[in-house]
Amino acid sequence: MLLQGTDLQILTQPLLRFDMKSSVLDWLGIILKRDLIIAFRRSSTYITPLVFFLIVITFFPLALGPQESLLSSLAPGVIWIAALLASLLAVESIFSEDFRDGSLDDFFISLEPSFILVFAKVMIHWLITGLPILIASSLAAIILYLPLESFVPMILSLLLGTFFMSLLGALGAALSIGKSAILSAIIVLPFSIPTLLMGTSVVTFSLNNQDYSGFLMMMGAMLAIGIPLLCLLTVEALLLNYD
Amino acid sequence: MGSPPLFYRWSSKIMPWLGILAIIFLSAGLFWGLLIAPTDYKQGDVYRILYVHVPSAILGQSIFMFMAACGLINVVWRAKISGMMLKSAAPIGMSFTLIALVTGSVWGKPTWGTWWVWDARLTSTLILFFIYAALIGLYSSIDDKTKADRAVSILSIVGLAIIPVIKKSVDWWQTLHQPSTFTLTSSPSMSPDMYQPLLLCVIGFYLIFAFTLTLNLRNEVIDRERSKNWVKQIFVN
Repeated sequence: MLLQGTDLQILTQPLLRFDMKSSVLDWLGIILKRDLIIAFRRSSTYITPLVFFLIVITFFPLALGPQESLLSSLAPGVIWIAALLASLLAVESIFSEDFRDGSLDDFFISLEPSFILVFAKVMIHWLITGLPILIASSLAAIILYLPLESFVPMILSLLLGTFFMSLLGALGAALSIGKSAILSAIIVLPFSIPTLLMGTSVVTFSLNNQDYSGFLMMMGAMLAIGIPLLCLLTVEALLLNYD
Repeated sequence: MGSPPLFYRWSSKIMPWLGILAIIFLSAGLFWGLLIAPTDYKQGDVYRILYVHVPSAILGQSIFMFMAACGLINVVWRAKISGMMLKSAAPIGMSFTLIALVTGSVWGKPTWGTWWVWDARLTSTLILFFIYAALIGLYSSIDDKTKADRAVSILSIVGLAIIPVIKKSVDWWQTLHQPSTFTLTSSPSMSPDMYQPLLLCVIGFYLIFAFTLTLNLRNEVIDRERSKNWVKQIFVN
């Protein structure tokens, strides 16, 4: 058992609360708190994607040769591909644990909106994979000789892009609960192409001193549409397991 | 239409007609296009692959739209038949997309000098092919067929939302990397002698799709309802 004492109370708390007074935000906070504690008790959840990201980044100079000009021109694509793959690495764990131990059933039985549950799960996934990648991307950019001026656009595009990937990943995970992790990745990858194209375009445009704000706005728009649409579809996909 | 036995009886009547019409349109269109239509003064006879390439590319896209519509109906109204329709249409759409890709690269070799160009249209067709593969992969991974239908429906709705974005972003990406060197076919510049057989071919391909879809769907209906009485009655008598 990974949890004891007060943590256990926090874990069981949402399941005991049936008073209608609690607001949606409270509910979101409770799930976030519970899942963060679970994630931090098992450090592999947030370290594995991070290490994977850095290892993949390191492989590119080894495979392509260490020329500075080559690496800096490839850097946007390399960083983005590594970020995409790393964020898909932990996708399978978004719902599988809760599904196995029955917490997911309890969430659905409780009268709180399941939309919020999915959104909280997406946020957790982003916090344990997207955020570490975001921080590590600066390191990757240094290794790959990306000019300093491109750091801000890179981080902005990764911020929007990794969150969208977490949304897509949640849907893939919900559709393939109990199946292999690679399946959820294959389901999700073709749909992540616009994110990849626009994300790399942001960084490449900033490399060429061009205006990249249009791509960032498009990514923001995709996120704005994606949060309600993909969360609702994910709820629908999760409910498939409870017929 | 919604109930399987009704569909089965109804489709038995309509299917021969679909098949006959498809054969008429396709043979007329292909005969006209491949033998009668004038030779292109720049490309020679190579351009005639267009009579297969363009219809299959159109079909590849419109079958996806059809599938997404079925998916929406299946998710919102839980109509079983629309789920089966979605499932039956997927392999057909994937085949047409594959045909479009292969004929396109066969056409590209003599005219452009290369099998493959990272042109915006080619790229988005390739992505469409991968999306079909994802849908079919998801379907085959779930044992319960009604569940598999709903799962694929959900994913096809995402596809419907994201395909315009893919097209747009591929366009931007392509103009970023290289100026657009080739445009595939521009119909205004095409002479009516070449355009009319193409129209016949497109209609013929739609009919072939309708025919194979009905075949697949009947197969699916029989397979899922095999323990029902009406199926036994059909096959015992």
